[in-house]
Amino acid sequence: MPGFVIDAQSIEKSFGTLKAVDGVSLQVKPGECFGILGPNGAGKTTTIKMLHGAVESDAGSLRVLGRDVATQSRLIRAQMGIVSQEDTLDRDLTVYENLWVYAGFFSISKKASLTRIEYLLDFMQLREKWDSQIKTLSGGMKRRLHIARALIHEPKFLILDEPTTGLDPQARHLVWQRLRELKAQGLTILLTTHYMEEAAQMCDRIGIMDGGKFLVEGPPQTLVQEKVGDEVYELKGGASIEFLDSLQDLSVTTEIVADILYLYSRNGMGIMEHLISRGRKDFLRRPATLEDLFLKLTGRELRD
Amino acid sequence: MMLFPQAPSHRAFRVWVRHLVYYRSFYLAEWAGNLGEHILWLVAFGYGLGRLVPNLDGISYAQFIGPGLMVSVAMWNATYESTYGAYSRMRIQNVYESMLMAPLTVGDIVLGDLLWCASRALIGSTLMLVVLSLFGLVGSLWAVAILPILFIEAVMFAALGLIATSLAHSFSFFNFYFSAIVMPMFFFAGTLFPIKGLPIWVERLSEALPLTHAVRISRGLFIYGHVENFIWHFSFLLGFTFLFLTVACVLVSRRMVE
Ligand SMILES: Nc1ncnc2c1ncn2[C@@H]1O[C@H](COP(=O)(O)OP(=O)(O)OP(=O)(O)O)[C@@H](O)[C@H]1O
Ligand SMILES: [Mg+2]
Repeated sequence: MPGFVIDAQSIEKSFGTLKAVDGVSLQVKPGECFGILGPNGAGKTTTIKMLHGAVESDAGSLRVLGRDVATQSRLIRAQMGIVSQEDTLDRDLTVYENLWVYAGFFSISKKASLTRIEYLLDFMQLREKWDSQIKTLSGGMKRRLHIARALIHEPKFLILDEPTTGLDPQARHLVWQRLRELKAQGLTILLTTHYMEEAAQMCDRIGIMDGGKFLVEGPPQTLVQEKVGDEVYELKGGASIEFLDSLQDLSVTTEIVADILYLYSRNGMGIMEHLISRGRKDFLRRPATLEDLFLKLTGRELRD
Repeated sequence: MMLFPQAPSHRAFRVWVRHLVYYRSFYLAEWAGNLGEHILWLVAFGYGLGRLVPNLDGISYAQFIGPGLMVSVAMWNATYESTYGAYSRMRIQNVYESMLMAPLTVGDIVLGDLLWCASRALIGSTLMLVVLSLFGLVGSLWAVAILPILFIEAVMFAALGLIATSLAHSFSFFNFYFSAIVMPMFFFAGTLFPIKGLPIWVERLSEALPLTHAVRISRGLFIYGHVENFIWHFSFLLGFTFLFLTVACVLVSRRMVE
């Protein structure tokens, strides 16, 4: 399919007086993985729900898989898999019945769905839970089942709203591993997450959203490099005015948060020597990360 | 919002299948409960209360209420399933939401739910038919012809129930719905006592209730094997079925798509 998997131009959505999505434009190419990051209430889920027609946009144009969402969302959903932030598994049914019934919604034959269900339960390591009731599953198992359900019809495009929130490290690694495998198979993926490190590894491009808008958008490494720098030095125990003045000659930007002084450096030249010469040996030196960029852009105050 | 993209289709059947898969896990208990309840009603009213009631138009009181109970069982079943059942699927368990993440429309979900409510109601009524024939209260074989009509009646009441569900903000709304709509419908449709002879405004009200027309058809088939003014009563049911179905589709769409 030529063109974009997602082509959103200035889409908007208000709930009463609150602008949840305020002019989002986004284009995602086939095979690409795009990650939406943003604090709580930024508008990530609302944006995602607009993509499959669960929330109607107030303005702008929105095409997914080459079709107009406002009029053809049913046909779009036939080719797309959705893992919602909320648990939408069918609690009245068993694991197997959940997948079997869902396959029916995509008009998949009984025989074909059986093969597919076996494959997906193996893929998500849920084989032994085949006959379990949903309420007996752990949070991690439910999330994996959700992903399996979204893949039942071999979609071209997968949307995941916080696929790993609330999972233990083992389950989280399994999920990210599987998502990387799916990406390697050529699946187009759009996801939201609060796990910066995984997003940076997995996504070709990310967008940081706040107040219903993208603040920046691009490949994660490039963005970090451009907006934050290469390296960060963290100094505990505060800093005197005099010490801060002494940093002026170095090419660093500084930030003080509670009792920690952050130095963001672009080329790293001479900083370590400077710190040591000043008798500050209690610092941590590390590469700049997406989390630094995230906090820089969205601030450190609590949301919601 | 546009109505057309949410129109129902043959995929409603898949929604019906989902409900059937769930039903498989508890149907025996439900059938046993239904049978017990039907027998209780018939014994308590037909024979208990019936001893105090003189013959009505030459038939016993039990014979009189039997066909009325048939159609009201369909109404009660369809109403429970489309209010408490549908509300929990729509608002609490996110079943509708998950269906809207698959290629189904609101119309598919509504139609599938209504067909399911009607199927369950039909099972309840069939059990009632069994009870009535065991008690020798079925006067004509034509009584079986009531079943397809009950199915339509049940779709109609399920659609009305779904309208209430789409307006409800909690389960307590259904207390209101049951006492303001369902109970009066049950009493003033001529199920337990004849309406003729009551004040004229009660008679008029009764004529406007959809259940009344189902009761007339049922009583005709059960006792005499034919129905006077069948076309009129049947059109009345059919008309309200389409009306409620359309309103239910629109209101559920409004509730599900923000
Ligand atoms: N149905 C709704 N009615 C009213 N307000 C809503 C509705 N859905 C979302 N909002 C508001 O829109 C804003 C964006 O919500 P959204 O769920 O998109 O955020 P999010 O980025 O997904 O947050 P989180 O990380 O917590 O999941 C929030 O302020 C939220 O309160
Ligand atoms: Mg969210």
